[in-house]
Amino acid sequence: MTQPLITQPIPWLDGPFWPFLALLLFAVLPTEIWRWLAVAFSRRLDANSPALEWVRAVATALLAGIVAKLIVAPPGALAAVPLALRVGALAVTLGIMLFDRRRVMLAVLAGEAALIGGAYWLLTP
Amino acid sequence: MSVSVEWSAWRVALAGMRDALSLPAWVVGFGLIGVGSLARDVGYPVEVAVLSTMLVWAGPSQVIFFASIAAGAAWSAIAIAVGFASLRFLPMTVAILPLLRRPGQSVWMQLLLAHYVAVTAWTEGLRRLPHVPPPQRVAYFLGFANACMAMSSLGTFLGYYLIGALPIPFAAGLMCLTPIFFLASLSAGVRHRGDVAAILLGLVLAPICARFIGGGFDLIVAGLIAGTLAFLLRPRKPA
Repeated sequence: MTQPLITQPIPWLDGPFWPFLALLLFAVLPTEIWRWLAVAFSRRLDANSPALEWVRAVATALLAGIVAKLIVAPPGALAAVPLALRVGALAVTLGIMLFDRRRVMLAVLAGEAALIGGAYWLLTP
Repeated sequence: MSVSVEWSAWRVALAGMRDALSLPAWVVGFGLIGVGSLARDVGYPVEVAVLSTMLVWAGPSQVIFFASIAAGAAWSAIAIAVGFASLRFLPMTVAILPLLRRPGQSVWMQLLLAHYVAVTAWTEGLRRLPHVPPPQRVAYFLGFANACMAMSSLGTFLGYYLIGALPIPFAAGLMCLTPIFFLASLSAGVRHRGDVAAILLGLVLAPICARFIGGGFDLIVAGLIAGTLAFLLRPRKPA
């Protein structure tokens, strides 16, 4: 099967090593640069400063935001499961964590069981 | 598992690995199975899939990279989208490095430690490192993070060859492991009402921003608004 939609290599850089080069240029570099910048910045910041508290709050919110985005607009096979079930599985996990914060494993397994069990019940005729 | 000040670096690293293998390493490992399958879909070799896990070390960025290639996005747009998705590593790394910093530590060591900063190592690190004696933290963190990376590389490799063969409910379950674990891990690290506010506001604002703000900026805007509100709501430390 041909895939006409796929992003084509940059012609003058194309070759057998193109996938490796693309990974370095367009995935590794734009990711790693923030970690490097953080090393440069963090030397001048005090661990208990309000600035760092703010930075941590933003990072926590960003992560919660990614969770919401993955649930609302999921990739791949997860999209085959109805939104209500995806939200429900998340609610099961959150409910257990609210009940007892140390039960990470139980919360993850229960959320997964709800999702997979629900998917089987809804998707298999 | 508690770590003693007297332990050797290797024993501390092993304790870190053990803690990682108690759950988090398995979750990230399973979570990256999907990336392997995405890499295969665009016809890239399995080495690139596994290297993306070791070098990018950020599930969402890897998903964006391979899924954007599959959608035919321009290389510049892919780089910008990955950059935005990874912007969170700046505040995250700034937040965790003070826990790992030692007198006389080289910049190279800090760059190496920073490379392992990703959701799991970060949330688990912030939660666990304060209970580890400061001189032992680097060894513990490297043991923990490398165990996660090894499991994830294995997961990516297996996903490259396996995921297409799974029935939909299980494939969906694997894809959902990432958000479920992120949320459980975030909830476990809650210290005060500011953290609760950051989680809840982030959950609510991100889909709203995704609806009204385009161009890949939505997550950053949601995070800045929710995080700033949560920061203002945090309890003040007694002076």
